[in-house]
Amino acid sequence: MQILKKQLLTLGAESVIYKVEYWGMTLALKWRPSKPYLHNEIDKLLRISRTSRECKMLTFVRTLGVPTPAVHAVDISNHLILMDFIEGQQFKQLADVSSKKRITTLCHEFGELLGIMHMSDIVHGDPTTSNAVVDTQSKIWLVDFGLAEKNATIEMKGVDMHLLRRAYETTHWTLQETMLESTMEGYIERSGDNAEAVLSRADEIRERGRYH
Amino acid sequence: MSLLCLGLEGTAHSFGAGIVSSEGKVLSNIWHMLSPVEGGIHPREASRHHSDMGPGIIKRSLEEAGVSHSDIHLVAFSRGPGLGPCLRTTATMARTLAQKLSVPLVGVNHCVAHIEIGCLESGFEDPVTIYVSGGNTQVIAFAGGRFRTFGETLDMALGNMLDVFGRTIGMRFPAGPSIEHAAADGVEYHQLPYSVKGMDLSYSGMLTAAKKLHLERVPVADICFSIQETAFGMLAEVAERAVAHTKKNEILLTGGVARNNRLTKILEGVAERHGSSFHRVSPPLAGDQGAMIAWTGILQHQAGDELPISDSHVMPKWRTDEQDILWRCRF
Repeated sequence: MQILKKQLLTLGAESVIYKVEYWGMTLALKWRPSKPYLHNEIDKLLRISRTSRECKMLTFVRTLGVPTPAVHAVDISNHLILMDFIEGQQFKQLADVSSKKRITTLCHEFGELLGIMHMSDIVHGDPTTSNAVVDTQSKIWLVDFGLAEKNATIEMKGVDMHLLRRAYETTHWTLQETMLESTMEGYIERSGDNAEAVLSRADEIRERGRYH
Repeated sequence: MSLLCLGLEGTAHSFGAGIVSSEGKVLSNIWHMLSPVEGGIHPREASRHHSDMGPGIIKRSLEEAGVSHSDIHLVAFSRGPGLGPCLRTTATMARTLAQKLSVPLVGVNHCVAHIEIGCLESGFEDPVTIYVSGGNTQVIAFAGGRFRTFGETLDMALGNMLDVFGRTIGMRFPAGPSIEHAAADGVEYHQLPYSVKGMDLSYSGMLTAAKKLHLERVPVADICFSIQETAFGMLAEVAERAVAHTKKNEILLTGGVARNNRLTKILEGVAERHGSSFHRVSPPLAGDQGAMIAWTGILQHQAGDELPISDSHVMPKWRTDEQDILWRCRF
């Protein structure tokens, strides 16, 4: 790909995101660079499988009505995805400065989106407030689908909800109860009868791995 | 005035006694690890080990520090998390000593102690800590007055996975060092389940897959090599996620598995990529030992913490994030 203008947005754990001008549009370019400290085969496998997975899942969950950036182009061998650039702010940053009412609304919406995905047996794999972007119209977009999976079982959905809860605990500790409550409301609204099994599994998962 | 604290550690396989001064000087640090000829660690046998070895270890710790009982100002003990029988045995010794010497008693969280002794040694102020041992695999960082677990294993601890695999191929507990040794001769990489979920990870699938490779007569060296590369690669990823998420610029590696050189090298790579400082806690302070309990006991006591004997029950399931870390409020 020939990029005319490139601006570094974030250096994440496994990717670098640039804001680029391409085809007369402002887009986001996500690149998964090599990690020299990993075994070469693991490095190669992860970069390819996650790039491919992310494209598929971003596109698929969009058809369910979950706002995600549209994928414009992919270059699997160079581990690149060109997608919509969402003008807005990370939910994580917003949560620290917004009113309680606004956070409650956003969490409710966040929960609904996860519920919609879970109803179609999709898990996000890293549902934190870092991976939700709030645009200028206060709409939530989900991003970072490199760990997402299809054909999800109750166990996988339970892990998703466990991760979400922990993200609130570690990052939004002063508001965690309120945030969790509204998220769960939204989640249960969308996933109905399935919610109970998933949420009780999430509690069970929380207790595992502990030193008993 | 300098204050001396005697710290007793006994949450699992090891019993240790260490003496540390309030200036952060480790005067002595004696421990002994139960290493059964075959099988793993049985809580009952481990607690018996502690009660058999404990008094002798405490005595040696005082001798090596060159102090007598009457020089001790404070007794700290590992209150949890850990194996119930082991914790109770250790707590009984700590209570007896505190009463006999008429000094205050402090109950220390084992995981917090690992972090604090690492900070003492490295001079780090506010690190992302990778704590990996036989019982724990956690990525911890300080936030909002507590040490919070950003990521952890969803099933077995990294050290536990290494031990159990080692046991199936006839290695003695702890198997980590033997696996590291064997891995040095590994050449071919066999793919194993790479299971990272957010900042959490899972090792049980890898254990099953590795056992299967062994049944298929894949050379032990290659299996050990593949386990290390995959298991440590996963840990590197969650460490990296924690660093990117918290924006902290120090990475501390501690716990028994911190002794592994390959793991250290991988995490050094992570630190380099994010421009962070890295420190691996030195072997005598990385495993389970009393000095870390003593030092954390001092920090806790200086922040006004003291545990009445009547309330000093052990807490086998004490989570890292359940304790207010009063002495770190400046962050």
